[in-house]
Amino acid sequence: MKSFSYTITDPVGIHARPAGLLVKAVKEFAGSTITIAKGDKSVNALKLMGLMQMGIKQGDAVTVSVEGGDEDAVCAAMEAFFKANL
Amino acid sequence: MALDYRKCAEEIFSHLGGRENIISAAHCATRLRLVIADNSKLDVEALEEVEGVKGLFNSNGQLQLIIGTGTVNKVYDEFLAVTGMTAATKDEVKAAAASKMPWWKKILKTPGDVFVPILPAIVASGLMMGIVEAIPKFWPAFGATDWFSFLDLVANTAFALLPVLVAISAARVFGGNIFLGAVIGLMMVHPALINAWTVGGMTDIPTWHLWFFNVQQVGYQGHVIPVILAVLLMSKLEKLLHKTVPEMIDLFVTPLVTVVVTSFVTFTVIGPIFSIVENWVLDGAKWLITIGYGAGAAVMGAIYPFTVVMGLHHMYNVIEAGMLASTGVNTWMPIATAANFAQFGACLAVAVKCRNQKLKSVALPSSLSASLGITEPAIFGVNFRFMKPFICGMIGGAAGALFAQLPFVHGYDMAGNVVAFGATTYGVTGIPGIPAINNIPMYLIELAIAAGVAFALTMIVWKEDEQPKAKKEAPAEEAIEAPTASVIRCAAGTVLQPVQGKVIARDAIPDETFAAGILGDGVGIEPTEGIVVAPFDGVVSTVMDSKHAVTLEANGMELLIHVGVNTVNMQGDGFTAFVADGETVKAGQKLLAFDSAKIKAAGYSDTVAVLLTNSDDMENVSCGLA
Repeated sequence: MKSFSYTITDPVGIHARPAGLLVKAVKEFAGSTITIAKGDKSVNALKLMGLMQMGIKQGDAVTVSVEGGDEDAVCAAMEAFFKANL
Repeated sequence: MALDYRKCAEEIFSHLGGRENIISAAHCATRLRLVIADNSKLDVEALEEVEGVKGLFNSNGQLQLIIGTGTVNKVYDEFLAVTGMTAATKDEVKAAAASKMPWWKKILKTPGDVFVPILPAIVASGLMMGIVEAIPKFWPAFGATDWFSFLDLVANTAFALLPVLVAISAARVFGGNIFLGAVIGLMMVHPALINAWTVGGMTDIPTWHLWFFNVQQVGYQGHVIPVILAVLLMSKLEKLLHKTVPEMIDLFVTPLVTVVVTSFVTFTVIGPIFSIVENWVLDGAKWLITIGYGAGAAVMGAIYPFTVVMGLHHMYNVIEAGMLASTGVNTWMPIATAANFAQFGACLAVAVKCRNQKLKSVALPSSLSASLGITEPAIFGVNFRFMKPFICGMIGGAAGALFAQLPFVHGYDMAGNVVAFGATTYGVTGIPGIPAINNIPMYLIELAIAAGVAFALTMIVWKEDEQPKAKKEAPAEEAIEAPTASVIRCAAGTVLQPVQGKVIARDAIPDETFAAGILGDGVGIEPTEGIVVAPFDGVVSTVMDSKHAVTLEANGMELLIHVGVNTVNMQGDGFTAFVADGETVKAGQKLLAFDSAKIKAAGYSDTVAVLLTNSDDMENVSCGLA
């Protein structure tokens, strides 16, 4: 399993639209299970509702983990996505 | 969710009928207290709906809005800012309210006004007395120690010299000089007089012969009514003299004449007559408690909360103080406890049974406060609004009060002798009453009966669907009607149209994320009405902090209803949520309200996106109005 930490800079946090974009991005890596954790809560990044329920806001530190598939490549792609969108 | 104090104050103000309709404003620990010129201009129903207002009632000429400890002062500050009013003290509000009251209500209110300020002294002394006197029961040797003697003195000070406290407080209430009031009170328990508590066995009581009055040289320890009346006379006299005596000599003449005249009238007329009246009141109360094998007590336990509603319950302090003075046992307290603790039981039942989060968040802390003897939040905020819990509470109160009068229920005094079941103080009921009671196991049973009966009855007869009586009218029923048109259909179920307006295709939603279907398939609605209702029977999974979007689940369907585009930036302004995370909803139930004009004014589209976020996983999905 590979993972990275990221602090959200988007002023509205992981809200509907960013969450939708994230889910869409995650769907491209069908071979990997990607989870996002904040504190002791974590959620499968494919679950839009779950993501929104996390209530992730600007300044929150999250940990993104990738399991299965080409972990290195997927992890790098996710990191790039977070930096670009969140 | 933290309350927006400013918004709360503004909303309250908007329903009060204009600035000129507000005479004054003050607050106490939990309530915003307003004196209103014309009650008919108030929008009471709208006031009850204001976020942050847990309940309201009109009492003693005041409109009282229950807001809560730690919050009310902040709302009050904002309220002053919104209205441009200056802070009124509670006393001013009371005075303004008092001028609107009928004379008989003023009389009934007076003992309460006098007693409430001195309650801390009474409670401290009473609880301490309870504890100090309880120790020798387990450890007899303690009764002979210096510590016992010292603590006992400390504990009974407030009771031994009660008339002084009453006199000072009464002088404040009646507008007299409090130091002159103190003199009157001190005089009535002067050490040179024979102590009223030791006079009982004396045969040769020294007497003054003053003109044609024969005045026994006995103090007024433990008396209340004669003290209040003496200070009332003193205050009236003092004010009259201030007006009539020339200013040059006022400083000397007024206090002198006031004290001399008051003292004379007190010892010759007021004292003797009203001591007798007071004994009648006391005997009446004791008779009421014991009549009919406890039936009288049961009736009192039942109607007690009504006297709380009318604000008259502080009057009982007179009875309780008198009981302590005459027998050392406050047998009234078990009745008050039964009544109060039953309201706790009823309120707790509402808290347990209700699904509405706002109601739960009011009912739970209110019930806790009631268990500690402060019943107003439970009664006004919850039980009295729905009426049925209140009545269940009355029945519980009657049951508890009846139990306290059963033949085998009695207390023990310090020496272990059997005495009437009661407390060593007053002003405490419920859980804080435990150290003050003279038979703790029986007291606990009484509490369990009162709260248990009220709780069980409320669980049985109260149903949440019954709206508070204030809004029985049409809107409640209308709102729950499910919409008929559906906007999304799939194998798992149907999504009804949650917002009135023109249904448009998903790709016509003026936002590329929604339009592209990134968040799932669905429709847009150009709203004609600012209300979002549940599109199916299901569960609310998330209400956004900014109240502009809500997600729901039912039968595997995950639905997002998002009001407007980019409206997250409005941070809740213009939006109201009626549900909370995890709440179960019925199709047609109100979820959110929004202000289209505000959204447009902020520069955003008010188009509502209704999207099945997991439409990819659903079968046979079709979107559009049908």
